[in-house]
Amino acid sequence: MNTVVDRQIQAFREQFVSVREEISRIIVGNDDIVSGVMTCLLARGHVLLEGIPGVGKTKLVQTMADVLDLKFSRIQFTPDLMPGDIIGTNIVREDESGRKNFEFQHGPIFANMVLADEINRATPKTQSALLEAMQENSVSAAGSTHALEQPFFVLATQNPIEMEGTYPLPEAQMDRFFFKLRLDFPDVEQLHLIIDRTTREKEPVVKRVLQQGQILEMRDTARAIPVARPVQEYAIKITLATHPESVQGHEMTKKYVRFGSSPRGSQALILGAKVHALMNDRVHVSCEDVRAVTLPALRHRILLNFEAEAGRVDADTILQRILDWVPEPKE
Amino acid sequence: MKDSEIILGVLGGIGRRLWVGRALQEAFFGLCVLLFFLIAFRLAGAVQPSGIPATGIAVWLAVGAAMTAFVAYLAWRVSRRVTLPQAAAQADARAALRDELKSAYWFVSNSEHSAFIDTQVARAAATAGRLDPRTVVPGRPPRSLWAAAALGVMFAFVTWLAPQMSPYWDASAAPAPSQTQQQDLRALLQDMPRDARIEKLDQALETLQRSDATAEQKRRALEDMRDIAEQTNMEAAAAREGLARLAEVMKANPKLEKVAEAIQAGNNKVAMELLEEVRRDAAAQQDNTSGEQFPDAAVATQHQGNLAEQLDQSGRDLSGTPNISAPALDNLMKTLDQAAREMDAQNRVNQVQRRARENMVATAQRSAAPHNEFGSNRQDVANPEPSPDSGNADMQGASTFRRDSANREEDADGAREGSRTGSASGESPSMALTGKATQRLEAQLKLEAIQRRDEKGGDDDKDGKGWIYTGSQQQASSLDFEDVRARGGFDREAAAQHDRIPVRQKQVVKNYFLNLHESEKK
Repeated sequence: MNTVVDRQIQAFREQFVSVREEISRIIVGNDDIVSGVMTCLLARGHVLLEGIPGVGKTKLVQTMADVLDLKFSRIQFTPDLMPGDIIGTNIVREDESGRKNFEFQHGPIFANMVLADEINRATPKTQSALLEAMQENSVSAAGSTHALEQPFFVLATQNPIEMEGTYPLPEAQMDRFFFKLRLDFPDVEQLHLIIDRTTREKEPVVKRVLQQGQILEMRDTARAIPVARPVQEYAIKITLATHPESVQGHEMTKKYVRFGSSPRGSQALILGAKVHALMNDRVHVSCEDVRAVTLPALRHRILLNFEAEAGRVDADTILQRILDWVPEPKE
Repeated sequence: MKDSEIILGVLGGIGRRLWVGRALQEAFFGLCVLLFFLIAFRLAGAVQPSGIPATGIAVWLAVGAAMTAFVAYLAWRVSRRVTLPQAAAQADARAALRDELKSAYWFVSNSEHSAFIDTQVARAAATAGRLDPRTVVPGRPPRSLWAAAALGVMFAFVTWLAPQMSPYWDASAAPAPSQTQQQDLRALLQDMPRDARIEKLDQALETLQRSDATAEQKRRALEDMRDIAEQTNMEAAAAREGLARLAEVMKANPKLEKVAEAIQAGNNKVAMELLEEVRRDAAAQQDNTSGEQFPDAAVATQHQGNLAEQLDQSGRDLSGTPNISAPALDNLMKTLDQAAREMDAQNRVNQVQRRARENMVATAQRSAAPHNEFGSNRQDVANPEPSPDSGNADMQGASTFRRDSANREEDADGAREGSRTGSASGESPSMALTGKATQRLEAQLKLEAIQRRDEKGGDDDKDGKGWIYTGSQQQASSLDFEDVRARGGFDREAAAQHDRIPVRQKQVVKNYFLNLHESEKK
């Protein structure tokens, strides 16, 4: 078999692997996080990275920007950051003839990769400035709409332990993120590698392995992967199992969940599963692919109730129970 | 061949193998259920024969309807074909294909086409072509087969190997326990001289042994045995009296004094040995004196009459003369031997009669009143033992006799255990039935003394009124443990900061006021 599709799939996989390997020259461990970020990029989504300070969230994004030949900008979110600081503003400018006119000054969001660092430090008003950009891939300012260049990819980071002076992301904002990835503290071996790499005279340098056009082709390839109805039903059952009011809701969901996943959750499951299948050199999506992306795709889309927070039951635990509970289609 | 045809062909083969496996599984499951109920029916019949109605059209109609419904249910389950999507799902699961065939079948059945779908179907067809249905669905026996085999072995055991449980076991062909025991009793009579009395006793035992003998015939046989025993006892008593008189006569003769003592002691064997010595001494003296000491030839005549008379005649032969002739001694020895055999016959006849009666009683109880059953049906059991006074089998107290003798069995050493609750004859000691095991109240609750003092200042009363039952030590320790654990949790909860909110609840409270509380106000 050497069809066009086969060549596309092979190219997709090789490019994916090359990006991952290049990033791994800088980032120690966290292969699943790198794969998750790449999945979001190729599924036309945005990613929210959560982790304690110093585990390499920002470094990961910077490295990815170095590896991908994309325009990169970084926004450090602070409580006094205003929406205009992100989107851009109209400024009055005087031309050679002396006439004054408004000219839109593009904000840092006009880039292919936007790092929204510590996004929960900005006020909800400023956070909302990202809403339109993330969903519509365009921004509106002063009555005019400006399209964002593709690929447009937002990587936001947030710190889960510093709660003073932070503003939790609203549910609508959270739902815009395709994946929510958690970076764990590295183990001893990984710490040795980090120290070895970062305390020498020369730090490793990565090269650009993927062009903008290649990324867009990979996005199209991922979208073209077919999904059979039984697998799609499996993803829907998982989504419905997160709804406490649904008859298909899991027992734990009814006890601890206030609101279940939105339909965007099902979309994320299927799109993420498609990329996951391609990563594994398959043209079809399996239930295993759906399971592999369930936690990052749905953990931030489930709103827990007071009882869950008091009992320290997190979304991952509930989702894991749901995965164990929902049966795979038998026909 | 097209890709879709390859996929459908392979899935069809896998589906057929799956269906065969499922049909076998269901068939053996049905066999398991059938065997289970047969075993249960057999065991129930063995434990409580009268508890299962053997007849009754309503019961058999209900059983038949249930069996028909079960068979129909099984047939319905077996008749359900394995669909191709089911076969695809099974093939994916068994061959770890990650839903490849399932997806391909769905695309093929829905006639969807695109470059990627065609590629997927082509890949799935290649995978299906490499699949061997015999590998995916191996022809191993279903698990229910082993269960059915185990139940079959159990059914064979309760049906053929355990004869008492078997309906095919012919009670008339195989000897019943009572018949075996009566056969042993007849063996007791074999080496006895076959006179009319012994012949009659043997016939009575044979009647009791016969399975087709009626109750009336058995009753008459028992009466015959009782008559023979009485006759034998009378003859034996006469023989004992004759022996006593003979011993008195023999005491007068110094040579026969020891023999007389042995006869009085009832030891005929020693007496015969002593007489043999006396005879040898007498023969030696006769050789020396050429027959002077035995002038009376009349004593050599044979004695006539019954045993008692023969003993009296022997006594007369010995009286009045210090020297005893050899023929007199021969006569005496013959008579003593006959007396010994009479005693032995009496013992055997009495033993046979007693054990035959006991066997009859035990057999009747085993057949109709098993040890674990003391229901009212024992009242319906025919009493095989006639009254010793009236011969009436339906005497009052018969049910009491059966009930109280239920435990009468023989141990391995032959000793009879006897009824623990007392038999009709009142021979056995009475003992109360052991009740259900209960736990002592002191084990459930701790007994604690209350230092109650009466108005006169005396100690607590001694009739038990000053005692009170309190919680056990286990209960108390459990409560203490819960108390200590809760105290630790309370300390943690109380570790609050200046805002009086526990640390672990701080985030929750904050979220509440930031989100929930604000939204509720709106």
